[in-house]
Amino acid sequence: MDTLTSFIPILPFLAATTIGSLHLFGILEGERCEKTTARIANYAMGLSCLLALTLLAADLFGQNPDSVKIAHWLQVDDFSITLSLMTSGFSVKLATLFSVLLFIVTRFSINYLHREAGFHRFFFVLSLFSSAMLMLVLSANMVGTFIGWEIAGLCSYLLIAYMYDRPTAAHNATRVFITNRIGDAGFIAGISLSYFYLHSTNWLEISHFVSQLSEQEANLIAICFALAAFVKSAQLPFTPWVARAMEGPTPSSAIFYGAVMIHSGVYLLFLIRPILEHAPLVMALLASIGLLTAIYAYFVGLTQTDIKSSLIFATSGQLGLLFLECGLGFWQLAAWHLCAHAMVRAYQFLTAPSLLHNTHHNPIKPVHPFLANHSRFYTYALQRFWLEPAADWMLTKPLLCLAADLNYFDKQIVDRLMGSPAPTIRAISSLAAAEERKIGAHLDNSDDTFAQGSGLAGKLTQWTAALLSWFETRFVLRGVSKDAIDMGRRLGHIANRVEQNLLKPRYLVLFVFITLLVAF
Amino acid sequence: MIAPSPFPLLSSIIFLPFLGAIAVGVVKNIDTAKKIAIVAASLELILTLLILFSFNNQNGDFQWQEKQQWIPSLHAEYLLGVDGISVLFLPMTALLTLITIVASWNNVQNLTRLHFALLLLLESVTLGVFTALDMLLFFLFWEATLPPIFFLIGLWGIGAQRRAAALKYTLYMLCGGVPLLFAIILLAINHAEHSGLGLAFSFPLLLKTAIPHDLQTLIFLLLVLGFAVKAPLAPFHTWLPTVAMEAPTQLTALLTGLKLGAFGLLRFAFPLAPNAAHQYGWIVALLGAITLVYAALIALQQTNLRQLLAYLSISHVGLVIVGIASLNTLAVQGAVFQLLNFSIIASCLMLIAGFIQQRLGSTELVHLGGLAKVVPRLTVFFFLFSLASIGMPLSSGFPAELLLIIGALKHHFGLGLSGLAGAVLGAAAILLFMRRAFWGNVIHAPIQAMHDLRQRELWVLSLPILFVILFGLCPSLILNITENSVQAWLFRLAY
Repeated sequence: MDTLTSFIPILPFLAATTIGSLHLFGILEGERCEKTTARIANYAMGLSCLLALTLLAADLFGQNPDSVKIAHWLQVDDFSITLSLMTSGFSVKLATLFSVLLFIVTRFSINYLHREAGFHRFFFVLSLFSSAMLMLVLSANMVGTFIGWEIAGLCSYLLIAYMYDRPTAAHNATRVFITNRIGDAGFIAGISLSYFYLHSTNWLEISHFVSQLSEQEANLIAICFALAAFVKSAQLPFTPWVARAMEGPTPSSAIFYGAVMIHSGVYLLFLIRPILEHAPLVMALLASIGLLTAIYAYFVGLTQTDIKSSLIFATSGQLGLLFLECGLGFWQLAAWHLCAHAMVRAYQFLTAPSLLHNTHHNPIKPVHPFLANHSRFYTYALQRFWLEPAADWMLTKPLLCLAADLNYFDKQIVDRLMGSPAPTIRAISSLAAAEERKIGAHLDNSDDTFAQGSGLAGKLTQWTAALLSWFETRFVLRGVSKDAIDMGRRLGHIANRVEQNLLKPRYLVLFVFITLLVAF
Repeated sequence: MIAPSPFPLLSSIIFLPFLGAIAVGVVKNIDTAKKIAIVAASLELILTLLILFSFNNQNGDFQWQEKQQWIPSLHAEYLLGVDGISVLFLPMTALLTLITIVASWNNVQNLTRLHFALLLLLESVTLGVFTALDMLLFFLFWEATLPPIFFLIGLWGIGAQRRAAALKYTLYMLCGGVPLLFAIILLAINHAEHSGLGLAFSFPLLLKTAIPHDLQTLIFLLLVLGFAVKAPLAPFHTWLPTVAMEAPTQLTALLTGLKLGAFGLLRFAFPLAPNAAHQYGWIVALLGAITLVYAALIALQQTNLRQLLAYLSISHVGLVIVGIASLNTLAVQGAVFQLLNFSIIASCLMLIAGFIQQRLGSTELVHLGGLAKVVPRLTVFFFLFSLASIGMPLSSGFPAELLLIIGALKHHFGLGLSGLAGAVLGAAAILLFMRRAFWGNVIHAPIQAMHDLRQRELWVLSLPILFVILFGLCPSLILNITENSVQAWLFRLAY
């Protein structure tokens, strides 16, 4: 059974590598190979689904150990990572459910994507995603879960950018991926902290050590993982990315954002449950964020006019409720809710296109009475409460401005300060110049070339000489004159400008941030 | 003390490319010259792999040592040797040179023989830098990398200001060399005073010599200053973007690949002055963290692919330096691993930039757009290497970055956070560029006529990507080799 268990995530992975490499080298290409690709993906997923069902059956009969080892991945000092899979408990049930859903969607996509330009690419990504998702759910090690987590994010990027020649698709994909990277950073921080405080990166072992944690440490670990969960499950303030993700083909929307991937955030909460139970602060945070998201998604969902958007906001709302349940400690309820929601939503997304087709001539549903009476609130909801522009204004724009300032600083100040030698233009550019240099006459050159330097040392020498000579002529030879007063005034102006720049919010925030970092 | 090696293998890997360079320069026929170059580079790769496979992992000391008198009056020796930290750089240098030679097979139209001869010469002296154990010999090799690079930039550069760039590079490196030489002389004099046996430049001997605290501080800071210029760390980094814009892309690929500065810090600066390293290591860590975030932020603003890659490479060096200065096993193991990784990844990305430059005559964003539609294979490879550079799991970037960040977090919370921030920003920079250059519609007519990767280019990129995936799946292959040497390295710094 041990080896068979490891085949659950490996089979789709093998399918993905086969399809991917054959497609890259031009062997699987065009419509006539569609059948081969479809078969590879379908059989791999089908087999893996069967294996998962067997695993579940064995678990129900109580035949399984807690986990099985697959491979020893890495060992440095006492940081040792053994990739292992869980073979009992909630993970197996969820993995079975997901593998069934993944299999259904794979089968569905074969017909749905028939004669699409990126047929082979789609099945490559879908297989890779299936593998990553099963790894995420089954892995007993944090790093294994993170591998699945990250690869699933990558697949979501690839499928949102499925129509990569459409600028919106490319834009949305990039934005979604970068948003997800923030959550990934949280995940890595969580892994590191568990290694420091719990001396283990195994999900099953953390419950043994968790009693040694102080409340502050537990809160710190939990908040890192919670950040990852918030981003992945599109909770506030990260909700807007999920609407952008609707750009991909419908089956991928179904499987990624309707049924499977979006639930991985909640699943992560299940994994860190022992830590969460020692971290009341984070539990409260989970509950409140979940509640807020549910309310937010409900109102935004009411104003949506296209089917995928309204479905995705409904999903977001349900996930908010799931977070609320977890935050309040109703784990059993949350588990049932999760599974039921995954199934219903997958069905809804898959039938969305035909539903659209069947209800083509139906009249438009009137606006919800509450919103109809509060027109201003309706506008807020329609604009999705300006969450995305707000994030842009608060984070993206200042960051890009800072980047632009630094770029200028680097090119104009650091580079010059460090001394870039004169470019060729200032060297001999014409015959006349060569001639001029040869006879030693400086016809149009007011600078004294004797005191020219380049590079930091050269410039420093040159400047020191110039400064001393200026000081000598202006002050020592002539005494204090009007020049000195002018100079002082100019220096004052420069100091004012520097101060004004420093008071800009982005620099203030930056300084505060740096101070905090150092204080840590 | 240490058994001398039965066969001078290290000397042969230094002199084989040198002889190859002479042969390439002497032969009349250009095609034959090219063939000689590629044969020499391949033989070199085989020889370096031979060293790697016969390397004893369990021994943290220097192996394959060779010792000859060099300048008796100064007690300078011709002393070579490799340990677990440096041994991996040998096959990597050989591999990079080989793929550089193959990638520039048809690109160089004038002075072809000189070009290939200089590449081989550069390989020869670079291997010298990695294997030299005598400080004077090391310095000789270190400075000897300059002339080939100077001519390669100046003669075959693709920018209008290539001469200025060559001059800029050389002046920077010469300035960086001064503190190095000063530190080396201080070390030798200290040995003379301390032991009464006269000057000594042998690295293993200098490691054993006690150094007074004040002098240690001075030596440490001088060495850091010298290596920081080459690494490059902010604020000494501005030569790299200039070189990336002006130099031939194959050379830029080599320069971003061969991270000599970071290697120097690892090999010499920290072990030679252990107390000072403990006391002032935070300066290096801070410089690294600043470089890491600063360069990643600037990379967000770049509109030219080559300049973007140069800044990303600087940012990666920052991360590695943070790892080295964290002084714990996780971070240092991660740093060595990451150095090797980025060498391959950064060079391959730069080579791909070169392929684009060669086809379109520009890597500027305004001339790109919608490349994925026209050159899917090139896009796939670029995408794979970018993923590896942002530390995606299944690529070798992931275990290395994980180790580095965990190690840095262990040392100081802020260092780890800067690493995490750098990871997000670096990903943003490269993906934003991909969106504008590779996705979207084809707007410019010249792009429509672009050729996808040719067979030769496909092979050049396939080999490294296989390595990247292999080491991503089994990182222990690399980590086992470096483990004992890193332990020994840390042990020296422990007291």
